[in-house]
Formats: sequence, structure tokens, C-alpha cells
Amino acid sequence: MSFEFHLDTNGGVQHLTLMGRLDSATFITLEKTINGLFSSAGDRVLIDFSALSYISSAGLRLILVAAKRARQVGGRLILCGLSTSVRDVFEISGFLKIMETADSKADAERALQA
Amino acid sequence: MQTPTSDGQHKVLLLDYTMPSQVVMFGNLAVSVEDAIPDLPEIAFSANLCLEELITNTIQHGLSNAPDHAIRICISRSANCLEIEVRDDAPAFDPFNSVATPDIDASVDERAVGGLGVHLVRTLMDEAWATYDGTGNLITLKKTLKQ
Repeated sequence: MSFEFHLDTNGGVQHLTLMGRLDSATFITLEKTINGLFSSAGDRVLIDFSALSYISSAGLRLILVAAKRARQVGGRLILCGLSTSVRDVFEISGFLKIMETADSKADAERALQA
Repeated sequence: MQTPTSDGQHKVLLLDYTMPSQVVMFGNLAVSVEDAIPDLPEIAFSANLCLEELITNTIQHGLSNAPDHAIRICISRSANCLEIEVRDDAPAFDPFNSVATPDIDASVDERAVGGLGVHLVRTLMDEAWATYDGTGNLITLKKTLKQ
């Protein structure tokens, strides 16, 4: 399975939806979009992992870059819909301690609207 | 094919797969690994992650991204263990003695971007080591299977 993503804006929140395999071959297609997510204070971004079947350290690096950018500009990032296997990878990497997550997209949307 | 292991159990070869040294081939490898152990989808996920991390290291650092080398992956299984072997023809390199462990307790600002691959392998597998025989590296991973 290959990798696809789409980015749209809903209620002032950017929704980045990831699908398929985010690995050392496919991460490059997402890099520019990740770098452009946060530009000013108050930027809000939700990354939806519910259709992402696989992630490796190449993809984790991009998510860490997004989290760093959010902190630098004073924005907010929430990750949602992580499968059990993907969540385990985030846990082992220590990312669950430094990133905000929500079980569902609806929960993430509510948190970002609050 | 069945061969006896050191503890007297029989080991069955489930996958003998050779891929070119190109990261675009990981998707195909992943399907073959999933097909080899269809009853263990979570372990297939871990196995694929470990394979990608280690083989990416080999391709980028050991082979300087040369696309025409062959990397051979074998997966075998006994009653209580899955064994994964990766062979390459790169110069000697032991990822388990060469890479610093990342600080996974660091804050977002302090956290280094990168260095996670070998940490993931060490955590997801029960045993992991590398040897060099003069012609290439052999990485062996073992994952204990719950009964």
C-alpha cells in the first residue's frame, strides 16, 4: 500500500489526514506540507491517523518537526485516531509524553475549538 | 523446510526474500512478511518496522544509497520464537554498538530529530545482534512468541 495525504481547513482548524504507509520511501512527499503547517501564534492543526496503517522513524521525524514548529510559533497540534500498533510506536519513541493526542477526530475537534 | 534449533525445537523457514537496496521496495517486503505470518499481524507490524529501520541504515550508510545491491531477508519460526535474519554485502557495521540511545524523556524543544530506529528495534525485539563474516553483515532478530 502506498501513502497519500490531504490537507483541508474546517472551522479555522487545519485537518491533515494521513493514509497508508508513512515510511522512508514516502515521507518525502509529506515534508513540505509538515513544514508549512504552523506559521503564526494560534494556528491549530489536527493530524488524523485513523487511515494510516504503518509508520516508521522516517515518519516519526516529521511528526516531531510539526510538534516543534507548533511550540515555536505558539500553535496547537493534536494527533488523533492512532491504531494500536501506531500508538505503540509513539509510546516507545516517547512521543506520547510530549504530544497531545485524542482518541477520535471528534474529540480532537472539540479540544481545538475549546 | 524444518531444521532443529539449539533448544531441540524445529524451526520452519517461512520467508526467503531478496530485495534490491532501494527504500521504495519496503512496501512489497511488508506484504510478503504479512503473508508469511498471517496469524501474527502485530508481530508482522513490528518485524516490518525493524526491517525497515535496519535496512534503511544499511542502504544509506553502509551502501551510500547504491541501488544495485541485494539484501536477503529470512524469517523462520519455531513453537515459541520468530527469528529474522538480514544479510547484506556492505562493509562491516554493527548498528547495535554504533548508535547512541535517544533521550526519550526530553522535551519537544530538546528532543533530537532522528536516532529512533535502533531504539525501536531494541524495544520491539527480544534479542538483536549483528555479525560480519568478511563478505557482509548478518543481523539476527528474535521475538518470543506468547503461547
